[in-house]
Amino acid sequence: MDIGSFQGRLEALRVGAISDIGAAADLDALADVETRILGRKGELKSVMGGIGALPAEDRPKVGALANPVREAIESAIETRREVLGTAALEMRLLAEREDVTLPGRSLWRGGLHPIRETEREIARIFGQFGFVVVESPEVETDALNFEALNIPADHPARDLWDTIYVQPPTGTPEAPPDEEPRWLLRTHTSPGQIRAMRATEPPIRILTPGRCYRYEAVDASHGFEFFQVEGLMVDEDTSMGTLRGLLDAFAHAMFGAGRPTRFRPGYYPFTEPSVAFDIQCVVCDGSGCPACGRSGWMTILGAGMVHPVVLRNGGIDPERYQGFAFGMGTDRITMLRYAIRDIRAFLANDLRFLEGFPA
Amino acid sequence: MRVPLSWLREYVDVDLSPEALADRLTLLGMEVRGIERIGADWSRVVVGELLTVDRHPNSARLSLTTVRVGDGEPTLSIVCGATNIAPGQRIPVALPGSVLPGDRRIEIAKLAGVESQGMLCSGDELGLSSDADGILILPADTPIGLPMEDLVGDVVLDVDVKPNRGDALSILGLAREVSAATGAPVRWPGIVVTESGDATADHVRVDVLDTERCPRFVARYLDGVSVGPSPFAVQQRLTAAGMRPISNIVDASNYVMLELGKPIHTFDADGVPNGHIIVRGAEPGERLTTLDHVERVLDPEVLLIAGDDGPLGLAGVMGGLDSEVSDTTSRVIVESALFDPVSIRRTAFRFALRSEASLRFEKGQEHRLARIGADRAAQLILAWGGGRAATEVVDTDPVELPRARVAFRPARVARLLGVDLPSTEQAALLARVEVTTEPADPTDLVPIAAAGPTGAAQQVPAAEGALVAVIPGHRRDLVIEADIAEEVARVRGYETLPGTLPTSAMPAIRPDPRRLVDHLRGWLSGQGLLEVVTHGLIGPEDHARLGLAADDPATIRALNPVTADHSELRRSLLPGLLTVLADAERQRRPDVAVFEVGPIHARVDGQPTETPMVGVLLAGSARPATWAATPRAWDLADGKGLVEALVARIADASVDWRATTPHAGVEHPGRTAEGVVTLPDGRAVVLGRVTEVHPALLAAMDIRAPHVISVGLEIGAIAAIEPGRVQAGRVDGPPPVERDLAVVVDATRGAGDVAAIIRDAAGPSLVGLGLFDRYQGAQLGADQVSLAWRLRLDPDPSAPETATDDLMDHIATVLSERIGARRRA
Repeated sequence: MDIGSFQGRLEALRVGAISDIGAAADLDALADVETRILGRKGELKSVMGGIGALPAEDRPKVGALANPVREAIESAIETRREVLGTAALEMRLLAEREDVTLPGRSLWRGGLHPIRETEREIARIFGQFGFVVVESPEVETDALNFEALNIPADHPARDLWDTIYVQPPTGTPEAPPDEEPRWLLRTHTSPGQIRAMRATEPPIRILTPGRCYRYEAVDASHGFEFFQVEGLMVDEDTSMGTLRGLLDAFAHAMFGAGRPTRFRPGYYPFTEPSVAFDIQCVVCDGSGCPACGRSGWMTILGAGMVHPVVLRNGGIDPERYQGFAFGMGTDRITMLRYAIRDIRAFLANDLRFLEGFPA
Repeated sequence: MRVPLSWLREYVDVDLSPEALADRLTLLGMEVRGIERIGADWSRVVVGELLTVDRHPNSARLSLTTVRVGDGEPTLSIVCGATNIAPGQRIPVALPGSVLPGDRRIEIAKLAGVESQGMLCSGDELGLSSDADGILILPADTPIGLPMEDLVGDVVLDVDVKPNRGDALSILGLAREVSAATGAPVRWPGIVVTESGDATADHVRVDVLDTERCPRFVARYLDGVSVGPSPFAVQQRLTAAGMRPISNIVDASNYVMLELGKPIHTFDADGVPNGHIIVRGAEPGERLTTLDHVERVLDPEVLLIAGDDGPLGLAGVMGGLDSEVSDTTSRVIVESALFDPVSIRRTAFRFALRSEASLRFEKGQEHRLARIGADRAAQLILAWGGGRAATEVVDTDPVELPRARVAFRPARVARLLGVDLPSTEQAALLARVEVTTEPADPTDLVPIAAAGPTGAAQQVPAAEGALVAVIPGHRRDLVIEADIAEEVARVRGYETLPGTLPTSAMPAIRPDPRRLVDHLRGWLSGQGLLEVVTHGLIGPEDHARLGLAADDPATIRALNPVTADHSELRRSLLPGLLTVLADAERQRRPDVAVFEVGPIHARVDGQPTETPMVGVLLAGSARPATWAATPRAWDLADGKGLVEALVARIADASVDWRATTPHAGVEHPGRTAEGVVTLPDGRAVVLGRVTEVHPALLAAMDIRAPHVISVGLEIGAIAAIEPGRVQAGRVDGPPPVERDLAVVVDATRGAGDVAAIIRDAAGPSLVGLGLFDRYQGAQLGADQVSLAWRLRLDPDPSAPETATDDLMDHIATVLSERIGARRRA
């Protein structure tokens, strides 16, 4: 074989390869072509194997002849691969198209109870003024729930709290038969005041939120279990003016900045002076409706300056210190906040009801 | 307290509309809860005169009447069903086209075949009284044709009088409040008793044996009295105020109670042997039949009004039947007494006899009202029942008390109210509620706190500028300086106090006890769980289903439950959560994933204790069913996974699950695990339990879900695993090496045991351990299980390359030695 026919075989290979490469329909076919031509046992190798049949003086020329062929084939493969790759990707994307209007794979939404969230919102608002939550037990003594709060036994004010009593702890004497029992379920969060005062020194700013119990028939606005948040602030100059200022700030944060408020006398044995705090009716905005008894106002909490006897029972000198306490029904605040008509909804736990609150 | 404005106006001028008056009273602390207009919901009801009353031709129960309703008006023919009517009577007539309460329209209609041109009205039909049986018979001199609203129309305020203001439980007391608000003077009724003949003492003798419980007893005596109905206007007035008219004598005592706030009792003197009244504690076992025909068994706690032959009445609470004023009574003894409020309250509670009278007695009474009330009652009985009042009174304590003096410091009042208020202004405000002021003497003491069961009185010497408030007798609630402050603020108007924000020192920073709980709540709701709040009080049946005995000493029970279903403080959150599920299923909502955070209660060593818990209940599908996912039921592993993820969020720790004794009938005997976290210091913290609820318990609650997962964790345990201080982990070293290890063990062997052995054998270089496959089947023996673990190991850069392989071999060897585990290829 002479160099001329060797060159001819190379050229034939090149032409055939370029044709095959162009004909490869997909990347797999192209890879087959590549292996068949450029592989270890490929056609190029086979042609190159003919080198031994060449005259010795022609052999050095082989490289100059073969390399451009190899490069041309490799380049054609690369070009073809790019074309086929792009086409394949386009095919894939086309194949993967889906109905983008389909709904998602759902998760359960979860949610938080409106009473607890309102409790937290109240704590958040007063927290900005330095009030911090302290916990207080649900099973209380008559001494803390009533006596220490200036509500002695047989006081007419006891009518304000119909009480559920429990057996006393083992080992403590039971009340004599004609007296009210001494252990009870707290009828309000107010005993938390006494506990907090006894546990710390002024300045005091605390909240005691939680569940309370009363012996009460259940209807749309009453339950024998309900929730309250108690607030207490004591130092040397906390006045009724401070109480008004803070309650206004609270009402505006909870019910909107423009909502008018009203401060009027109330009565609690543990405060003197005592206060009832109203906001303009959230249903009728003051024009009068059944929800506000046509008065245009809704009472949202009771408050007052802590009675000197209560301060003293908390271990605080009423001559030096003064302060206020307030107690609000978390249920009521929540009902006003979300226009809930029936207090029974809170403990009924209808899932449709609970899912109605964003949180 | 119901206050007819027509009555109120007798004692004070009111130039305000009812709404404006209600507002003023409310702002003064006398909250008006409602305004009722008598006559506002009728129209075209007039006074008529019955001309004839005949049998209805077609009905034995009906009458046919003719009625005159005014000059020039045609005579009306009206069918009526009442039996108390007779010609000549004046009665209310609803004319054709009239409207009655409840939007009831009266037109010409045929009744039993006869045309009726209107309707004769009962008191009930007009909302005037509860008497629905008979037609309301009006006084004979009532002008014919007069619109009924002109005769009896009124506006009634419903005033919420607070327990400390017994003095305002009266029309006169509220007139005083109106006066404080408007400045209009109060007019007392002219109280004059026309006496004649012999003296009261000739007929009545009073011996008070217990002056502690009865500090004053005033008696009057009248004879020749005719018992009958009181005047129509009086009856209307009492009805409007909420009391049923009974007879002129009883009405007189009720009138005085409403007018002055002084309860009065009247006796038929014939029922009081020898006219001798004894006030004493009852003998043990003594009996009395009260006005309500109930025989009461008494004891010394009960204060009695007694006669020579035994009890006549329960002092201040209810009279006895035998001395009741009746139609035949002609001699009357009037009792106007003062009683110990506590004694009255106890007796009224004990016999469940709380009345308008006892309510006033238990709030305390002004001393002078005893005499005033006796006189006023005698005056009204004479006016309405005739007869004669004996001269003078029998009075056990005729000396009236001096007015109380309360020293106060105007500067301290101003400090409490937070407003700069000069003492002259304070004095002027107090004068509007009949409190006069004078300069304090240096020897005067300012009462800071009154003596009471919880401590002695606290007083300080009156400082420079102090005043003394001289208190009118009716204001028994003004005792300490703070009471004076309230009075000043009240009269000035709370609305005038400027609001300020705190400027005083802030308390020290304190931890928020709700931080962890709120974190848990947020996290759990983020996992798709819905927060619920269930009852703290549950029923004995709920506890019985948990296997707790009805007399379990650890259960805290209500002594006076509102209902048996809510009579015991919950020992577990599970009953409440299961109730949520049962209710949801009833609403065809079988997919329930809920949680609750709250305390459970128990007696521990006799003491009530509260343990804050978080409870989770999972029932139905673990994911909502959609086109993209096949629903899968929640299972035990979901509950565990929730706890594991929660723990991982809170601490750098993992949960070990171990078998625990299931609660029989509550927890699935084969699907109950206890979760334990081992802290870096080696302490093991039991977090709580994950269980499948026992099918028997589900059946008992009519729950249809076949598998329900419950998780109960103690908040305190979760708090215990929170790290005190967090240090960032190392992430700059080489990545961990992952190796798999499959071992075959006895099927009864817990995976938790195997994991514990792997951790023990691997030592500190093991940073992660997961079970990625569990296989039981044909390739293994029937009692075998293959567990495939993936270990993440922190390589020691200085160790030889073969160290990891050596460690894996070591772990396999230890597993083989300890539990006979065979390594699978």
